[in-house]
Amino acid sequence: MKMNANDVVEAYVTDVALQLSRKQRNDVAFELRALINEGLQDKAEETGRVIDAAMATEFLNAFGHPDVVAARYRPALNVIDPADGQKFLRATFIGLAIIWGLGLLELPQTASDVGFLNALAKWWMDTVIGSLWWPGVLVAGFGISAWVGRRWPKNPEWKPKSNDRIRGGRLGMVMGLFGVMFGLYILAEPRWVLDVVWGGHAAPVAYQALTYTDSFLQLQGPILFTLILLYIPFFIAVLVKGRHTPMLRRIETASSLLTCAVMVWVIMGGPIFMTATSDGMTKLLMLLIVIFSLIVLAVQMYQSVKPTPNQQPQIQ
Amino acid sequence: MANTDTFNKLELELRRGVVVLATLSQLRAPRYGYELRQALSDKGMPIEEGTLYPLLRRLETQGLLKSEWKLEGGSQRRYYSLNADGRKLLKKLVESWQGMNDAMNELLKED
Repeated sequence: MKMNANDVVEAYVTDVALQLSRKQRNDVAFELRALINEGLQDKAEETGRVIDAAMATEFLNAFGHPDVVAARYRPALNVIDPADGQKFLRATFIGLAIIWGLGLLELPQTASDVGFLNALAKWWMDTVIGSLWWPGVLVAGFGISAWVGRRWPKNPEWKPKSNDRIRGGRLGMVMGLFGVMFGLYILAEPRWVLDVVWGGHAAPVAYQALTYTDSFLQLQGPILFTLILLYIPFFIAVLVKGRHTPMLRRIETASSLLTCAVMVWVIMGGPIFMTATSDGMTKLLMLLIVIFSLIVLAVQMYQSVKPTPNQQPQIQ
Repeated sequence: MANTDTFNKLELELRRGVVVLATLSQLRAPRYGYELRQALSDKGMPIEEGTLYPLLRRLETQGLLKSEWKLEGGSQRRYYSLNADGRKLLKKLVESWQGMNDAMNELLKED
């Protein structure tokens, strides 16, 4: 159907008005139509043209797309606070990369069962498409946070926090210290847990499951325990200083990397426990600790700031 | 051209900063949308229709303008003008603008 100028204007006004609230829709549409017609009339007089559909379309294109114009009638609404935009994108990409990466770990196993292309299709459907819950959760989380921020605005005053502060405070560090000591005690004699929980009456197979192999006790065990033991003087040093000095930070990073390396060596080495189940479970837990520690180190490295000019200053 | 693009973007930013003040300044007496646009354009501040007409509604929602429909020459038109709050705000904005304008003139003087 061929449209005339009136039809074009009506279509434009409808496209704008439909995006507005019912309360203002008809009133705005009436006003907008009158203003467009008046503008169009003036344009026709200026140019000496007769108003037709082409001229109306040209005029309305200069007016702006109906979506844009309708958006201008509404108050600005940010689901995610613009200040959080970068954080949102970063969390989205990192989260998706982790989910997709973990999914890829299963790919070789699946490929051996159903073939590579089928495994890839399964990864795409189950992991990639399935991972879309993550951006959804982030939108909801950031959206709620933005709403709370608007509803109950925070005190905008900035309070300085020392970069060297102990996260969790001294109390947290003391608890960490006790945690390490307790963990070391259990690691030294894991069967102690069975005695505590079952009063020494656990099944023999349970004791066997938590018995270290001789090879672990002779080689990897002492090295790993010594390394973990060294965290105790480190924690005490941080407690005494009351902060993480640059030297303590460097020691912490080096010891974390060393511990990760030793744990990987232990995982790759022979069995730790006498039974395959407890051995596999322990190695899986150690692998998770290594991954978590490396992520923490990577985040710390990413978040470090060293004010440095990006070129040598010229001497004047 | 990158320079033209940058200029257009920065000029748009400058214009955005003054659109509200320019609009309020021309609403001491009642005007309807098209008439207001002509008045602004005649004084060297053309504002696109697609920007100006929604702005009038937003300023009204913010409680700075009052409006009423009037029948004039056979056409119904919605006339907008400053209300008491709008007048007070305009006074403050004008003072602020004049302060900034003086400062900018000083800054832009060539040594």
